[in-house]
Amino acid sequence: MPCDSSFYRRLRVKLSALAIVAFAACTGVLAGAPSAYAQAPAHADARLAQATAPAATTSAAPDGAQASPAPNDASAATSAPSDAGAQASEGGAAPDAAAPGDAAADTRGLDEEIQNLKKDVVDLNKDLFVLEEELLFPANTQVAIFVSMDVGDFFALDNVTLKIDQKEVANYLYTPREAEALLKGGVHRLYLGNLKVGEHELVAFFTGKGPNERDYRRGATLKFEKGIGAKYLELKINDRQRKQQPEFEIKDWE
Amino acid sequence: MGAAMAAAPYPLVGKEAPDFALHALVGNNVRLSENLGDVVVVTFWGSRCGPCATQLDALNRSLATYQSVGLRVFAVSVDDDQGRALEYAKGQSVNFPLLLDPSKSVSRLYQVDNLPMTVLIDRGGVVRHVHRDYSGKDEALYLKELRALLNE
Repeated sequence: MPCDSSFYRRLRVKLSALAIVAFAACTGVLAGAPSAYAQAPAHADARLAQATAPAATTSAAPDGAQASPAPNDASAATSAPSDAGAQASEGGAAPDAAAPGDAAADTRGLDEEIQNLKKDVVDLNKDLFVLEEELLFPANTQVAIFVSMDVGDFFALDNVTLKIDQKEVANYLYTPREAEALLKGGVHRLYLGNLKVGEHELVAFFTGKGPNERDYRRGATLKFEKGIGAKYLELKINDRQRKQQPEFEIKDWE
Repeated sequence: MGAAMAAAPYPLVGKEAPDFALHALVGNNVRLSENLGDVVVVTFWGSRCGPCATQLDALNRSLATYQSVGLRVFAVSVDDDQGRALEYAKGQSVNFPLLLDPSKSVSRLYQVDNLPMTVLIDRGGVVRHVHRDYSGKDEALYLKELRALLNE
């Protein structure tokens, strides 16, 4: 069980990472953050970079032209930046044409970020669920009671009422779908709670339809010793072929 | 009184419908959460309520038309006397479960303050419409709201 300091440290790291990602997604303060607010200046910078890039090449071209016989070096040198600027301004349409491609790449990146964020949330939820169970039901005092059913020819389960030390702790109504799931091998956790160390009494009442569609109500009792550590008990409903009756027993998982 | 109730907003509209599991007077037990994905009508009725029988008939007609596209109807009895509720149920020829709520726990969850009270729940399990009374002309309104929910 991850009930040590490293678990809490990992949880804290995950929480802080998730908080950072969520904050970045909302504000777009981090580079590459998947936010429309963040992408707007990024596009602007990209356009600026693309606009200046032709300026560099065009300014290099007159330099190259200087090696060849240039008619007026000074004018070339002075006109180069202005030409570059003009070309850059003329070439302003080129980055706009490339924008849909960028947008698609950004969307893909955004999707990945969202998927990662979702995965982080699911992981975090799992860790928090484990943490919650550990905090609410510590291993030393935890008691879990399960219901299982086998065959079910002689009994159709309707309701289970559970009493621990004369106190009703659970009352569960089963729908046909749930009863069917039990018959297919499912196990239902009926109760999860805490008990102090010592002797306790568990009483379970089963209500349903017995043989020949008759209303059927039976009980099962178990006195058990709760020691240090979790206690798991199983309420088992079986068919007893010899008696043509259902059988109810409580099994202690050692 | 009626105007005051009509004016008072129903607090569960727009919220997730509280889950419940109830015994059926006739038929199988019902758990609301098992019907997620269907449009569910939960109506609260009593054996002493006059318009309830008319409404149950109307809901039965709606169910016959829209059951195949995911309409479910559950009628919850708020009677204290279960024998009386059973007698009343025997007199009804409806094709949906008539449920018993002897402890009134579900009635309290849904804050029933008038009979019949009808709650329309969408496919996502959210309470969308509530009607705290019934007259013959309401059937058309029910159908309109149900069609809208079924089309979502």
